[in-house]
Amino acid sequence: MEELGHIYGTVERFPKPWELDPAKPLTLTIDGEPRVVPPGTSVYDAILKQGMALPSMCYHASFSPFGSCGICLVEVEGKPNLVRACTAPVTEGMVVTTDNPRCRDGRRNAIEKWLLVHPLDCPDCDADGNCELQELTYALNVFDIKEAKRRRIPEDTRSPVLDFNMERCILCAQCINVCKEVQLVDALGFYKRDGYTHVGAKGDTTLFCEFCGDCLAVCPVGAITNKHAKYRFKPWQLAKTQTTCAYCSDGCQLILESNPVEKRIVRITSPLSWRSKWGQGIDTSLGHGGTCGRGRFGSQYLHSPQRLTQALMREGDSLVEVPWLKAITHVAERIAEVKAQHGPEAIAGLITARCTNEEAYLFQKFMRQVIGTPHLDASARYGAMNAVLALRQVMGRGVATVSVKEITHARVLLLIGTNITETNPLAGLRVKEAIREHKAQVIVVDPMKTSIAKLATHHLAIAPGSEGVFLRGLIKAVIEKGLASPAFTASSPQAYEAFKAAAVAIPMEAVEQRTGIGRAQFEAVAELVATGDRVVTIFAEGILARPDGYRHTLLLLDLALLTGQFEKPGSGLAPLWEENNEQGVVDMGAVAELLPGQAFAPQPGATLVEILEKARRGEIKLLYLIGENPVGTLPAGLRVREALERVECLVAQDLFLTETGRLAHVVLPACAFAEKEGTFTNWEGRVNLVNQAIEPPGECRPDWQLLTEVAELLGHPMAYSTAAEIRDEISRRLPGYFGPEGNPRRPALTIPAYLPDGFAEAVPARYALPGDGRDGRDGVMALVLGQVLFHSGKLSTRADGLTQLHPAGLLTISAADATRLGVAAGGRVRVTTPSGSAIVPVEVGAVQGRTGMADGVCFFPEHFTDPPVKDLLPCTVDPVTHVPAFKAGAVTVEPVPPDPDEPAKPGNMISSGPAATSGGNGA
Amino acid sequence: MTLKAGFRRLLERVLLKEIVEAMAVTFKHVFTRADTVQYPRQKRRLPDTNRGALVLLHYEDGTERCVGCTLCEIACPSHCIRVVSDQEEGKPLTRFAKEFYIDMTRCVFCGFCVEACPVNALAMIKMYEYASDDKRDLIFDKEKLHALGDLHHQDAKAYLVAHRQEAVDEESRQYRYRHPSPLAK
Repeated sequence: MEELGHIYGTVERFPKPWELDPAKPLTLTIDGEPRVVPPGTSVYDAILKQGMALPSMCYHASFSPFGSCGICLVEVEGKPNLVRACTAPVTEGMVVTTDNPRCRDGRRNAIEKWLLVHPLDCPDCDADGNCELQELTYALNVFDIKEAKRRRIPEDTRSPVLDFNMERCILCAQCINVCKEVQLVDALGFYKRDGYTHVGAKGDTTLFCEFCGDCLAVCPVGAITNKHAKYRFKPWQLAKTQTTCAYCSDGCQLILESNPVEKRIVRITSPLSWRSKWGQGIDTSLGHGGTCGRGRFGSQYLHSPQRLTQALMREGDSLVEVPWLKAITHVAERIAEVKAQHGPEAIAGLITARCTNEEAYLFQKFMRQVIGTPHLDASARYGAMNAVLALRQVMGRGVATVSVKEITHARVLLLIGTNITETNPLAGLRVKEAIREHKAQVIVVDPMKTSIAKLATHHLAIAPGSEGVFLRGLIKAVIEKGLASPAFTASSPQAYEAFKAAAVAIPMEAVEQRTGIGRAQFEAVAELVATGDRVVTIFAEGILARPDGYRHTLLLLDLALLTGQFEKPGSGLAPLWEENNEQGVVDMGAVAELLPGQAFAPQPGATLVEILEKARRGEIKLLYLIGENPVGTLPAGLRVREALERVECLVAQDLFLTETGRLAHVVLPACAFAEKEGTFTNWEGRVNLVNQAIEPPGECRPDWQLLTEVAELLGHPMAYSTAAEIRDEISRRLPGYFGPEGNPRRPALTIPAYLPDGFAEAVPARYALPGDGRDGRDGVMALVLGQVLFHSGKLSTRADGLTQLHPAGLLTISAADATRLGVAAGGRVRVTTPSGSAIVPVEVGAVQGRTGMADGVCFFPEHFTDPPVKDLLPCTVDPVTHVPAFKAGAVTVEPVPPDPDEPAKPGNMISSGPAATSGGNGA
Repeated sequence: MTLKAGFRRLLERVLLKEIVEAMAVTFKHVFTRADTVQYPRQKRRLPDTNRGALVLLHYEDGTERCVGCTLCEIACPSHCIRVVSDQEEGKPLTRFAKEFYIDMTRCVFCGFCVEACPVNALAMIKMYEYASDDKRDLIFDKEKLHALGDLHHQDAKAYLVAHRQEAVDEESRQYRYRHPSPLAK
């Protein structure tokens, strides 16, 4: 714009951060003392780094400065006005004064500016006592407010969980920035209405976003409130307990805020808040301290009236409430009886991976030592065991080789078979940070257009179910382009030759045709994965819970070996487990073939499917279930119900009376995660503490306590009075498991031992392309059962907060398929397989506006058992790991005319909610 | 002791001087007005500042003043107040006390709760006769506190004025919080 020079004069351009020499630090003077900072630092950060505090309301460590509040004012020599420190970059030789009467007056004026229009409804406000405006008003001595006037703005109560009170808003934009920069969701924005600036869903519509609640957490005043907790508390009344979330395997830290008088959880917060603005208590590379919608709004099941509070025993056809002691004595008597009559092998047990490490350890000890049966298994068998056994075979221990920190700092991320933002939202957030902060190359291999695929640099929409074929093609591309790591080819030449021979045999045309991905794309991805210096592979249910999951994990490991990921620091594999403590139950040896510490059991017992098979044959007389619900989880094709009905004594320990519990002979009420002590191990292998926040209702007891009581009655006293005593025993058996030095523990790699050991022989079989399971018939679609953002397992369907966000299971089909079938959102279709058919309501386009559907694919959330879509799918059991794969299959979908007698079911989730008038921004 | 002083003491003892003096004081009161109040037939007039039973007040239009902010609960040194607040059904902007208890057996009548109340919903009245043979009757709930407040509204107002809580009510109104009137969307 040189032609404007005669109007404005010449301007000295400010150097951009990347134009500065990173090696050349800048010197500045803060309050008379010389300081040295790296270029690109803001004055605010420079002041903070010197250990000095400067008040501010819109600054937060987790996103870039915005400069809206005008409180961090400092005096800079040579500038006529006070400068906002957070947005001013440091320049060479700057002289900054942080504390003089002029700065203090400026800050006071900024506070006063907001107090004049702030409603001062502190007695009513939920933030009262935990309000930054209050704190700064007192801290900066703002007591003389001139003519105050109140903005009269109605409250926005349209969103299902968040209320926006714009009278209280100070327009600091922290909510908008955290949504835009940290979550990369960008659902919130400023808009004008009635002459006032509002914050809310963009375009003044009903907010329907991912509901992570980070906006609620960072709001320094009470402008954004939690609808479920609103007006029911004052911050100082609540007892705060830090614990670990029990939904997904990310292991987020939650703060349960409970009313100590009523002994109820009032709300759930996380370490992220306006108080953590300088990054205290949060390490942003591990996580910004936030949590997801499930963690924040999904606790109502704890106080559900359907919770079991008393032991139940079968009398005839019904279950009747009995005193706890009677039930437990009955269980012990039956165990002793069965053991005496049929031997210990007639007893089997299943445990859920939602229980703590201590309970998993005690369970396997109880089964193996007290009862003496090897037949026990955990819900890690539903998928995680595929990866655990593969990783264990290659590396000696079945655990991720990287932690979230490596995901954040990765240069290349390969996400295969994972809808990470739905299943593990906080791990997904690290991928987003890698995209935003570190400009990582993200390759998403998924048939569906998931949220992360929309942000990724490369989205490879493979044909559904062709993950294994894709991996073979990718390995072939790596070998053909000569991208294998020289270290690997030099150290293990015969393994490399075996790979090469197997790769040559793969017909690339068939791979291209089966996956729908061209050769050029394979080569581009191979180039990225092989040449990137920090490559992290993330995989989950798309690999683990599908047929051949074990083989596909081995293929991923082959790829990692070939590209030298184990040698490069910061590279590795990250399997994401579905449930919160799948890593823990495996490490504690609560699965059939592994002992504590993942040592192989000398006599492996029957696995989940085999236990049910044995039960059906009448070999298992007594089945002990801890939190497990095989009837509700496994497809009807496995005839689980029939198997459990044949068991002479079925004992279920659970929070609720599940489908399986209804078949049980004894049901013992157990404690939820907020009612007991213990530890969870997340997918990284990091051990997190679980602390008790509330008293258990009725006669509920922690699962470990129920086990010790039964053991005592059986004459094998287990002398534990607290969970910490069990933890002591575990740490004696597995030294360093809870220790800070091994947290998370990384396996000592045993790859050199793995490579020559019968490796080359197994390769050709692994690389042979499996048969194409698809039939060419018209109207056949691939049905995928998967997780959605607002649910985890079936427990979350009992939390009102989450059922409001995702009330029912709908079959999602793509828009093209909907047109082809002639159904609209809200219509119904009949889904048919050889096992039967079900009528399912339909959602068109994307799952609640997030996961976009590919043509020829339909998706149903696995959390909902009504309609019974899961019963339609076939189940394949992996020959090596015995993992049942039952979450995908081919179905025929045909439209069903609407039933005139039945009122129209809500079709699209978004239009069924309070968003009916807005059209839904997420649609 | 001198002889003179000894003689005087003897004379005082013979003439019962101390008793005469004492009786003079006693008989003087026969001719003055008695101060004894014949409770319960008679009752004292109490000053406006008297700290008696605690009550909850309504606004003139009959709506509850209390907004359930629990500041009284914080201010109370003997922890005798318990407030459970909630959102009023259908009025998203209205917080109110769903339950409100004052344990009068523990109250020390310091009046801090009245000082703390930002809406002048609490006051003390001149009534102090709530003795009972059942201690549970002494835990006043919201209903009872409101009933007492309605009955002794004058006293409660007088208390607030005497303690300078409402002396300049109109002037201080802008710093006193009142529920906003429900706003139309």
